[in-house]
Amino acid sequence: MKSYILKRVLISVFTLLAITLVLFCLLQLMPGSPFNDEKLTDDQRIVLNEKYGLDQPVLVQFERYVANLVQGDFGVSYNISKNTPISQLIQTRLPISIQVGGMAVALGAVLGLILGVIAALNHNTWLDSLCTAISVLGVSVPSYVFALALSYTLGFRLKWLPMLYSANTPLLSSVMPSIALSMFTMASIARFTRNEMMEVLGSEYMLLAESKGINGAPLILRHALRNALIPIITVLAPLIVDLMTGSLVVEKIFSIPGVGSLLVTAIQSNDYNVVIALSFIYSAMYIGIMLVVDLLYGVIDPRIRVTGEGGRMGFFARWRLVLFGRKKVAKV
Amino acid sequence: MKLWKRMGAAALAGALALSMAACGGGNAAASGTSTAASSSGAAAATGSNVLNVMTEVEVASLDPQLATDGTSFEVIADFTDGLMQMDADGQPVPAIAESYEVSEDGCTYTFHLRQDANWSNGDPVTANDFVFAWQRAADPATASEYSYMMSDIGQIKNAAEIIAGEKDKSELGVTAVDDKTLQVELTVPVPYFLNLMYFPTFYPVNQAFYEGLAEGTFGTSPDTVLSNGAFILDSYEPAALSFSLVKNPDYYDADKVQLDGLNYQVIKDSQQAFMSYQNGDLDIVKLSGDQVDQVQGDPELSVHGAGYLWYLTLNQAGVPALANQNLRLALTHAIDRTSIVEDVVKDGSLATYTAVPPQFATGPDGSDFSEDQTMFQDVCSDDPAKAAEYLEAAKTELGQDTFTFQLLVEDTTESQNVAAVIKEQVETNLPGVTMEIKVEPKKQRVEDIQEGNYEVCLTRWGPDYADPMTYLNMWITDNNNNYGKWSNPDYDAIIADCTTGQYVSDAAARWQALYDAEKIIMEEAVIVPVYTKADACMIKSGVTGAEFHPVALNRVFKNATKG
Repeated sequence: MKSYILKRVLISVFTLLAITLVLFCLLQLMPGSPFNDEKLTDDQRIVLNEKYGLDQPVLVQFERYVANLVQGDFGVSYNISKNTPISQLIQTRLPISIQVGGMAVALGAVLGLILGVIAALNHNTWLDSLCTAISVLGVSVPSYVFALALSYTLGFRLKWLPMLYSANTPLLSSVMPSIALSMFTMASIARFTRNEMMEVLGSEYMLLAESKGINGAPLILRHALRNALIPIITVLAPLIVDLMTGSLVVEKIFSIPGVGSLLVTAIQSNDYNVVIALSFIYSAMYIGIMLVVDLLYGVIDPRIRVTGEGGRMGFFARWRLVLFGRKKVAKV
Repeated sequence: MKLWKRMGAAALAGALALSMAACGGGNAAASGTSTAASSSGAAAATGSNVLNVMTEVEVASLDPQLATDGTSFEVIADFTDGLMQMDADGQPVPAIAESYEVSEDGCTYTFHLRQDANWSNGDPVTANDFVFAWQRAADPATASEYSYMMSDIGQIKNAAEIIAGEKDKSELGVTAVDDKTLQVELTVPVPYFLNLMYFPTFYPVNQAFYEGLAEGTFGTSPDTVLSNGAFILDSYEPAALSFSLVKNPDYYDADKVQLDGLNYQVIKDSQQAFMSYQNGDLDIVKLSGDQVDQVQGDPELSVHGAGYLWYLTLNQAGVPALANQNLRLALTHAIDRTSIVEDVVKDGSLATYTAVPPQFATGPDGSDFSEDQTMFQDVCSDDPAKAAEYLEAAKTELGQDTFTFQLLVEDTTESQNVAAVIKEQVETNLPGVTMEIKVEPKKQRVEDIQEGNYEVCLTRWGPDYADPMTYLNMWITDNNNNYGKWSNPDYDAIIADCTTGQYVSDAAARWQALYDAEKIIMEEAVIVPVYTKADACMIKSGVTGAEFHPVALNRVFKNATKG
């Protein structure tokens, strides 16, 4: 298991480097400069490019960037906040994004599970239909529409919640953005939980458990839900990453000083260093989450912990598990 | 099956309990929020006498020599005074400079600084603070994007050489004669030099304070800037989405400052901004064109000139047909500018028929350079009949009956809407002319026109200083912003006479020469002016004295009151 983790971490590092290099090359293709292209003369452009080393070949820039990165230096912002170290910009903003995102994941996962379980237990009744309807709505309506609707009703009309983020009331200000962001997660999890639960509930070991006299909540929670959780966790991971992209728009709507709104501004204004730094962090988080999910399998499914099989499961095997259910991968 | 039903009921009950808990939480939150929501506007500086204003973008820099955008300039000017400040009409009035003298040849300015001007750390504002700041602006090591304010525009002695790295910054033509006397030497008289003094690039920086800070930290927090102006920075961090200032009790003009402070809120979504205004969280908010439509007739609606001229640039070097003057004149006459500002832009923007837009430059007699929008009506008007005549002449001269042009626009809603109308008007009024719209992100559009990689482009220019030259200088031969690559030696000669030649010390003659230059641009239809942008805002009733300007400082709140 340890060597497996080590291998995964090493692969992650190389993946991150590759992502950074690709980004470096892509940003070279972006039109214009990080500076005020409308007003600058050619001479000034040369001075500015020299000052920030943008006149160097891409590979030289990349090498220097990685060398600085190893020391935790992401460089400085060119125009969003001139000459400010990006680590300083991110330091205050990342926790806010993580807080909003975390609240959204928690909310979405919990509500999604509840909806899914209710739907599965009440298969083919009006409750099931209701849950399905909510799921369809959640998956198909983009988060910014929810954001605007919430902002209008709860913020503007009812005045229950602040419409704009305020540093004085961080939790309260995060409620609407979190709800808006959680809808997709909730809907996806609900749909998935319903399918998984139905499959588990129909399995033979459930019948066995029931015949052994286990019933009520322990039967559902310990035997059914626990077995259904594995594939659900697998989908939850990519959903967390979806949240990050969703946060780009939602942060803008609620004026949340997070990294999402920063990334949008950076892309629009060619603030190369900020784009690369944030993409790096997003990628690192994505890879980290995937790693954690892998390790979580072991905790949730004792069989994987014992054999270590799940841990060595490859990329395709994991997605097969996600797409076709657990039966084909781990037989009882 | 019975079991499942029981389970289902249990789960449902659980869920209900949960949702009720959630509702309870919601209510609890709600009771706590009414205070939170209403106080969020006045988050940092409390009290009713604090103005809550919205901006669309973050402050890019609080370093006066590095800042380049309107929001940064506005905030820097909230807490910093230059030698001069703007009055409500945009005219320079003494600020840190109590008085000044200009030498007979117009090349030497001597400013006498007021004795009671102090920094917020107690240091007096000295002439050296200006010398230090101006040298920073010209120093290539600073890489100030606005260094050309010192050289090309301000014409300060040796500025150009210092920027080019040929001379040391200590040779800049600015000297501290004593603590309270500043002398500035220019290479040629600059008629608008005093107007430049309220431009933030020329604001002072306390040298000892600056050098006492860790490198790169100046202007990144309330502790790393000093105020010598009406307000003091109270809360701020780089790229903050909300920050605040409080009144500076030690400001020399503190008696006249009515507000207790300013709260800034960055809102990029115009819908949210307007709702926050209606909610009472904001006192001043900027509107989009569609929103202006909704509030027409509202007494709180307030429209101000933004100075930007939107015009069509025609690539004469790259497109042979556009080198034909009659064809260019046909295009100028084919557009219905009134309908563009009234039906498309809708925010109070002005239909414009001059190469220099109205509302930003006032002449020696105090009149607006371009107030008369009919002065070139012979060569620029909304006149389809005339357009058709010019087109016929062009067709004969070029021996060609059909023309297809690509109209390049940036990807904003407004630009795309305006372009769609221009295309329709041109194709209706000029039979045989087809326009194909090409939409690009702004950075790409700017790069393309700079490289001559376009045919017709809807572009804009904002004034850097309050003189027609900020526009007219663009069309001299080989200027970076002469995107059409048009060239006329007569025109170049007039501009040279006005910047460095015979007219520099005769304001009235210079003004007349500038009209002559503009006339050439219009007669040859070098550009097709379309409209001058306005900013539409909502200002809460009771708020008075907020000043709006198209140049340098877009908003000044020093004299604002909140009733």
